[in-house]
Amino acid sequence: MISNLAALPIVIPLIVGVLAALFHKKLKLVRVYAQVLTLINTGVVAYILFYVHQNGSVVLESGDWMAPFGIVLVADMLSMTLVLTTNIVAIACIFYAPKSLSQKQEEFYFYTFYFLLISGVSGAFITGDLFNLFVFFEVLLMASYGLIVLGGEKVQLRESMKYVLINLFSSMLFVTTIAFLYSVVGTVNMAQIAERVGEVEQTGILTTIGILLFFVFGTKAALFPLYYWLPKPYIAPNPVISALFGALLTKVGIYSLLRVFSLIFVHERDVTHEFFIWIAALTLIFGSIGALSTNNIKLVVAYNIIPAVGFMLIGIGVYNSTGFSGTVYYLVHDMIIKAALFLLVGAVAYLAGTSDLRKIRGLIHHYPLLGWMFFISAFVLAGIPPFSGFVGKLVLLQGAMEADRIIIAIIGLGSSLLILLSVIRIFIRGFWGEKDESITPNRNAARGFIMPVAFLLFFSVLLGVGAEWFYPSIESIGDYLMNPENYIESILKE
Amino acid sequence: MLFAVFLPVLLAIFIPFFSKWKEKIHTGYFVLLAPLSVFIYFIPHVGNDFSPISQSYNWIPSLNIGLDFYLDGLSLLFVLLISGIGTLVTFYSIFYLHKSERLDQFYVYLLIFMTAMFGVVLSDNVFVLYSFWELTSISSFLLIGYWNYKEGSRYGALKSMLITVFGGLSMLGGFILLSIITETTSIQAMMEQADVILSSEYFGLILALVLLGAFTKSAQFPFHIWLPDAMEAPTPVSAYLHSATMVKAGIFLVARFTPIFSGSDWFFIFVSGIGILTLVWGSYMAVRQTDLKGILAFSTISQLGMIMSMLGFGTSVAIFAAVFHILNHATFKGSLFMIAGIVDHETGTRDIRRLGGLATLMPISATLAFFGTFSMAGVPLPFLNGFYSKEKFFEATLEIHESSIPFANILAQAIPYLAVFGSIFTFVYSMYLVFGTFTGEQKLDQLKKKPHEAPFGMLISPIILVLGVIIIGLFPNSVNSSFLAHTAEAIYGQPMEAKHIQFWHGWIPPLYMSLIVVGVGVVLAFTRKSWNSIYSFFPGKLSFNKVYDFLVDQSEKASAKITNMYMTGSLRLYMALILIAILVCSFSVLWITDGFAFDTSGLAEITVHEVLIALTMAVAAICTIFTRNKIAAILILGVVGYGLALLFVIYRAPDLALTQLVVETITVALFLLCFYHLPNLRERTEKTSQKWINIVISVAFGTLMTVVAISAHSTKLFDKISDYFLETSYKLGGGDNVVNVILVDMRGIDTLFEIVVLGIAAFAIYGLIKLRNKKEAE
Amino acid sequence: MEIIMSILAGVLFTTGVYNLLQKQMLRIIIGTALISHGAHLFILTMGELKTGAPPILEDNIELYTDPLPQALILTSIVISFGVTSLLLVLAYRASKENGTDNMEKLRGNEND
Repeated sequence: MISNLAALPIVIPLIVGVLAALFHKKLKLVRVYAQVLTLINTGVVAYILFYVHQNGSVVLESGDWMAPFGIVLVADMLSMTLVLTTNIVAIACIFYAPKSLSQKQEEFYFYTFYFLLISGVSGAFITGDLFNLFVFFEVLLMASYGLIVLGGEKVQLRESMKYVLINLFSSMLFVTTIAFLYSVVGTVNMAQIAERVGEVEQTGILTTIGILLFFVFGTKAALFPLYYWLPKPYIAPNPVISALFGALLTKVGIYSLLRVFSLIFVHERDVTHEFFIWIAALTLIFGSIGALSTNNIKLVVAYNIIPAVGFMLIGIGVYNSTGFSGTVYYLVHDMIIKAALFLLVGAVAYLAGTSDLRKIRGLIHHYPLLGWMFFISAFVLAGIPPFSGFVGKLVLLQGAMEADRIIIAIIGLGSSLLILLSVIRIFIRGFWGEKDESITPNRNAARGFIMPVAFLLFFSVLLGVGAEWFYPSIESIGDYLMNPENYIESILKE
Repeated sequence: MLFAVFLPVLLAIFIPFFSKWKEKIHTGYFVLLAPLSVFIYFIPHVGNDFSPISQSYNWIPSLNIGLDFYLDGLSLLFVLLISGIGTLVTFYSIFYLHKSERLDQFYVYLLIFMTAMFGVVLSDNVFVLYSFWELTSISSFLLIGYWNYKEGSRYGALKSMLITVFGGLSMLGGFILLSIITETTSIQAMMEQADVILSSEYFGLILALVLLGAFTKSAQFPFHIWLPDAMEAPTPVSAYLHSATMVKAGIFLVARFTPIFSGSDWFFIFVSGIGILTLVWGSYMAVRQTDLKGILAFSTISQLGMIMSMLGFGTSVAIFAAVFHILNHATFKGSLFMIAGIVDHETGTRDIRRLGGLATLMPISATLAFFGTFSMAGVPLPFLNGFYSKEKFFEATLEIHESSIPFANILAQAIPYLAVFGSIFTFVYSMYLVFGTFTGEQKLDQLKKKPHEAPFGMLISPIILVLGVIIIGLFPNSVNSSFLAHTAEAIYGQPMEAKHIQFWHGWIPPLYMSLIVVGVGVVLAFTRKSWNSIYSFFPGKLSFNKVYDFLVDQSEKASAKITNMYMTGSLRLYMALILIAILVCSFSVLWITDGFAFDTSGLAEITVHEVLIALTMAVAAICTIFTRNKIAAILILGVVGYGLALLFVIYRAPDLALTQLVVETITVALFLLCFYHLPNLRERTEKTSQKWINIVISVAFGTLMTVVAISAHSTKLFDKISDYFLETSYKLGGGDNVVNVILVDMRGIDTLFEIVVLGIAAFAIYGLIKLRNKKEAE
Repeated sequence: MEIIMSILAGVLFTTGVYNLLQKQMLRIIIGTALISHGAHLFILTMGELKTGAPPILEDNIELYTDPLPQALILTSIVISFGVTSLLLVLAYRASKENGTDNMEKLRGNEND
């Protein structure tokens, strides 16, 4: 009975989303409905996380088909932490949405896509079955396709084509790779795959299959040299949608990498994980260079997704408990701050009437609160204490240095500076400077934008200043990932 | 101590309320409360019987990060400096900043800075120290950018932040390494493991990283370039942050780690070498400046270099002199900054070329300036504290330890000469500063305002500081054993005798050095105009500012260049790059792990009709490339799809075959529907090279897939879980068609969400079509 | 036979990728369709071919083919169908709206 808890974070948004389609034109109703149910779902997820924290992982064998034969849903600390973060981001977005979306966009099933996106993301975090992971990937991708084309602007359609095509290709590669893996180990249950791959010490073709999977997830996670599709399509739709994408989609990719390369393909680390370190370094370097390359403030934030993913890959590559903890902490941090930043630059672009930094100045005189929130976000992003980014970065770098990976740690530090420069120049040029008298401040709109961002920043500060409330749990996730037999046993309990 | 550290920020929370009454009472009066009470709290610790105190509060124990405060002689000196000068500067700012300014912002930043600075000097935990360290950079950024409508302010703010945060980050790297090697985050505990650190393979790196932090913060050569631009800040800020306190954080850091690092000759080479270089360069450049605050900025750089170099010597004399000079510098430089602010305030300019002869108009300021500059120049007069520490410095330069590294010995030989050289220029700019401003011809017509003496309130703070100069000068031993000795001991790492300070030592080398400085200095100061032209060709065009500007400028331009090279928006390029990456890496891994396998046992037999179907499909697939008619292309694609359905039939998959047939039919119809209105397929007009690249990539990719597939098929290592499905399908699932039972029962979630995917697609398509119609209708 | 099927699937991938690297939208979409056919063929092949009867239980039959890959392919076919349909409509709309079906002309620049 209690094991059904694991399905709730997937099922609730699914049902809610489908129902939302029934009264999609009654905007006032559907807004309140969406907001209330997002809050309720968050409450449920928080309870499940609490339950898992107290009692250990909850494993649901769907349809009572015992693992590894049926599909298992695994609510462990890692997946539930991420699902909860997803929902926190969702709350901010759902309250921001009415202010930012056009009436038509709302009417054309924004809320349905939104809930199904949440459902798909949660499913991807929770499932314990590789093929089912593919299915949830498709759910969240399809919802994202629906969101990215919402509105049907010229730019959107153009960028959506690229987005859909590259993701479609990587999905096809994903199913093919699952088939290869099935041929070798005869199963699609992740725990059993892990067990079997371990038994044969990851011989023969298995490592190559692992690398193919790395490319599948790496494309979703936007790693070097696979991230080309990310920046432009992410800024084409409405800021709310950008925020959902930036916060959630790439993170599902990095989560999958974390799961698969801590659980399954861990026996040829000289090849795979060594390779990750290099990829991480290149991702950090090219990502931060990208962030500096543009004067489009939305694009700056979109590019900043990339080095963050590079950071998280460090933790996977160094393969120690500290590194894993760092990756998880950074993952939570990054989901929140990326959403906040996308919402912020969305608000700035809306209020200033342009997203070209060269045309914006002196905004702080009109919108002081917005300015200071941006200022804080810049430091959160760059990992300056006492905010969440610092804790994540510190633990990651500790992990790297414990593993004698000094160079990657130094690259990480260096890219922090570039990241800071890339966002602080928005503050200096866009917010500082002489007051732009041509703008008539729209304080009402600004207030609507500020609350959701403040909500997110509250968590960024909390995760930094109050790190002690979170870190011990995250640290235990790190240990848990280092010992995959825990995961395997909890599912295949024979 | 916790309360003392955080008192300023607590007060900062209330500043916005206080500032509501700023018309009646200047907000600065409330602010005074914070530094003054901290000063009063700590001053009783001064005394002969001082012993270190530590207090700990939990913060993030699971990461070994705690608010561990440690008060020893070193931190006591700094806390008193920060709170003492802080009080005076705040008081001064009350008269300096007009009520019409945004006082609330100014004081909030200032209070944040105070907390940050107290935190830096009191923290024993490296990560907490780092946190406060970055906070000083941030608050300094905000204070420099206080008048951010000025281009110069924004430039200076960014510059200072980039350079100091760069240093901060590298310091963090050093701290993490230190904490991993010693398994502690406490500096005091690290000191006990100094030998472990010194013998670590990473010692060189740690030293470099930590020193980078210190050098950037303390504006050491070549990172000094941010300090002159930081002078865009309001003068109280320059006096406080950029002279007396924040820039000394780097000195503090080096001092803090001296007990650990001083065992290494590299520490001497870096710290003393860079320090003495900074001393020479800073004083040399100061003479060139025309802005009063510019002169003071370079002067600060040079004095910081001097203190830094003394820490590098590591001898007890040197350390004692360094400590003594930290105190003295704060007194005379603080007062000079305030005088510069007064001159600026009263005349409307800080350009020394437009000033002159102000002594008659501003007699008190002039007198104060004379004391300050003469003390800075190290003029041998018994009532100037600067002379004493300068002479101790000379003494220290002559007593540097022998080293095993030849370069260190050469450096040690050169240091006394460099010290004298730098001090001569110090003398010159000191004289230039005071005489240029207060004597000579008056140029009142070039001033915006008619100058007169500053209001008395504004003079109080500099007067107190100058009194400090004189009192320490007259009674140099008054602060000695009760105060400075503790500080020096904390840096030296072991008990040392208090150095007795006296005016007359007899005819000894340091005195000769002082006399040379004064003698040559007087000559150069008088003839300054005749040799000033050396600055036009040295340093000339190559300055470190240009390097910085180039780097920042290029960080955007080069980034844009690099990024635009591959982020072209071309889907084809993106796909090609992704595919190449996959190909290169996968083939390499296949090669490295020797993954290829080929096993023909147990394969299904080859039959003619299957081969024929396969051939047809392959040919059809290839034809899609060559056909130029869109309808034909779509139909040929259909051939592949129907061929696949046939294969499904042959391979005992009836459900699949049916589904494939239906889906293929609908898809072809959709294709036809959507592309009916679009232009026909065109001749491909690409270059042959592009074509070959495409061919190579696609063939390679197909090969990769086939090779991995064959290898995977040839390495069947385990039984499949499907046997279980066959066994239980009827028993537990109640169905004969196993595929169906799997779909609706065993893997029901897949199927549920597969339907969801279809549903979302339907909504999305509906939206795509519908939203267009509306727009076109409009 | 599995070898031949693997090669056929490889050919489908090759032609699919080649089409994907073209400029014209229609060709690109044909490419994706070919790739998904290839992927499905791979899944089927990986489950071993013709090892027994169709997986519909009947008395006195002992050997069946592997049912799981078939189930996976079914799911995948339906999903590909959904994505392909969306892609088709999207391509149609994108080309109408932008006035070209040449992807190389749909690059865009920094600020739009």
